Amino acid sequence: MSKNKKNLPQHVPICSESCRSKEILDLAVSMGEELLKNGAEIYRVQETVEHVMKAYGAEDFNVFVLTNGIFATIHENREDAGSIVRNVPIGTVNLEKIAVINQMSREICQGTCSICQAKKQLEQCRKTSVMPKRLLIPACGIGSAGFCYLLGGHPFDSLFSFFLGMLLQWFLLAAEERHVSKFLTDILGSAMVTIGGLVLYVLGLHIQFDRVIIGGIILLMPGVALVTAIRDLFNGDYLSGGIRLMDALLTGMSIAIGVGAAIKAFQLLGGGMLPL
Amino acid sequence: MMIEIIVAMVSVLAFGVSFHIPKSEYLYCALNGGIGWAVYRLCLNCSFGPTASALWATLVLTLAARVLSAVRKMPSTVFLIAGIFSLVPGSGIYYTSYYLIRNELSQGSAKGIETFKIAGAIVLGIIFGLALPQNWFNYLGRITERRQKKQEEEKN
Repeated sequence: MSKNKKNLPQHVPICSESCRSKEILDLAVSMGEELLKNGAEIYRVQETVEHVMKAYGAEDFNVFVLTNGIFATIHENREDAGSIVRNVPIGTVNLEKIAVINQMSREICQGTCSICQAKKQLEQCRKTSVMPKRLLIPACGIGSAGFCYLLGGHPFDSLFSFFLGMLLQWFLLAAEERHVSKFLTDILGSAMVTIGGLVLYVLGLHIQFDRVIIGGIILLMPGVALVTAIRDLFNGDYLSGGIRLMDALLTGMSIAIGVGAAIKAFQLLGGGMLPL
Repeated sequence: MMIEIIVAMVSVLAFGVSFHIPKSEYLYCALNGGIGWAVYRLCLNCSFGPTASALWATLVLTLAARVLSAVRKMPSTVFLIAGIFSLVPGSGIYYTSYYLIRNELSQGSAKGIETFKIAGAIVLGIIFGLALPQNWFNYLGRITERRQKKQEEEKN
């Protein structure tokens, strides 16, 4: 954050004087990696890494951040030169970790956090357990039900959206454990929700099944990718913004394919034309 | 309308849980989601059309997110992502593929273009919201900081 630029401390206590530039570089890039993995914008990653290095007294450094990688060098013309290249695959969004690391970098810039402490904090931040499944799944159900209602569904429709949303979140968690590719997950997930809606329709329930399905697939929508893409583009990181934008567009298309395939299969199986 | 806003807040919060919003910010994220939906509905009621409504809603929402981020000392992404969720054109994607499958190409492409328009409006809304200089928001942050310090001093 730009407000931290002023009043940088001249000297910060450091654990060991030897191999110190490597240590600084490793810490800074690890913090950046954690930010990037959890869906932070490029400029935030870049500024965090730079601020941390500057706060710990590095004089000459370069950082280059892409959506899926960090490249950094320190003290290029000195004996203790170091460089790091990290590959960071696009992961799931975890805003809490971004907030924690942001706070950490603020403390480091104020000079109240030594390298040792920072390392311990980072390790802790990595270990913080993700939300338990028994909380995540109902939460997604409630969200789906809410959006079904907002998009013009009857409260009765929301009830079914609730179950479809839970089903989808359960599927997403299972797919994540088995490392299924993102597109396949999106296609299968949206197809599954659509099939669920169609089954309800076949059972003869009086529901607006389109609203039920839309409520169910809202979780898959690339809202986060879209926001991050725009923020990256806005800050002049065109390449990274482009990567994210492509991610958002492809996710949208995957959802459309999943929904379309399920409806088409229903028609071919003799379900006939669906009323809108 | 009030019910809708409350439902919007609850569902934004529910999805926020799956993006691991920090626990201390739950209330503010829900608030931002509520603001977004309220503006969207108001604009629709004033016969603005879905694209313009999405634009205004995103603009207000982005500004609210930046104010909140200055006051709460949090990255603005936290509030922005939570708030934007209620406006993402989910139904557009569904209807586009629905019409295409039914081979009603004209309606399908109309829906598809509308979806892109809404996405574009959201993009523009965020960009306009981000274009205001950060200093103005930093000032807000400083005011709250001072107030907190005063409160602490009074306590001591």
